[in-house]
Amino acid sequence: MSPSDFLARVYDDHAHALFGFLLNFTRAETDTKDLLQELFVKLAKQPGLLEAARDERAYLIRLAHNLAVDLMRRRATRGKNYEQLAAESASIFAPAVEPDEQAFRQALVAALGELPPEQRAVVHLKLWEGLTFEAIADALDLPPNTVASRYRYGIDKLRRRLRLLYEEIK
Amino acid sequence: MNPDDFEKRLEHQRLRPIPGAWRGEILDAARRARDHQLSTITPQPTCGWREFLWPCPQAWAGLAAVWVLILLLNSVTREPARAAQSPNSPRAPEVLMALRDHRRLLAELIESPTEVEPPKPSVPGPHSQLPQRTVAV
Repeated sequence: MSPSDFLARVYDDHAHALFGFLLNFTRAETDTKDLLQELFVKLAKQPGLLEAARDERAYLIRLAHNLAVDLMRRRATRGKNYEQLAAESASIFAPAVEPDEQAFRQALVAALGELPPEQRAVVHLKLWEGLTFEAIADALDLPPNTVASRYRYGIDKLRRRLRLLYEEIK
Repeated sequence: MNPDDFEKRLEHQRLRPIPGAWRGEILDAARRARDHQLSTITPQPTCGWREFLWPCPQAWAGLAAVWVLILLLNSVTREPARAAQSPNSPRAPEVLMALRDHRRLLAELIESPTEVEPPKPSVPGPHSQLPQRTVAV
């Protein structure tokens, strides 16, 4: 497989998941695109990176997470508050047909924006990537207990925040 | 609220698809970056002499070394001949002394014209010319 075919194959297999993860983490489409591009440039320059990976998806999520954390740090040093950016951000969900469902998605986007980025990352990988706590721990380089507790805290906050709306449209 | 139901509800929220136009842009950027990296690593085609020498650079280096040695030896062996030819070049003191002796001897020979005959070789004459001996009886 030529290097170009390899990149295209990795993109087709994983870009959608990486896009969702990065968009939820950064809450900004331009940052998500920059980070995805940075990740693929890295893969193009070092095609052997994925060879040793047991789980390609988990390894790519780890790379994406590290790049996003670096971006956050750079932003922090420039005085830009990442939490403010999270509150401003774009939806990670597709538009819903039903108005109630659309309202729930919008409220969920806002509630996710109130979570700390590290809790948001764990919640995203558990709910929308379907990863186990062990896989998330491997991807984010965290102890599994930390992952489980972050998930619990995150879900509890979302539940409290969305309780009324959820009960209403259930 | 049942926690399982809530989490299931969240799970069923469909994520936005990645914009289709990004694929080409991101993959093109990655390919450009890779090509740029390769071009900085591989030698430029402008170095034609490298391509010329590439088949066996050791052989070319050896040949160059032999030529340098030949030129060096040539210049070293030519040096004494040049020194003898050039009047201004410094001479060894032994040579100068020998030259001086030679000139002095030549001058002595020119100043004393008396010729010294070389001794005649003693050729034995015939018996009749031998001095007669007188024998008294």
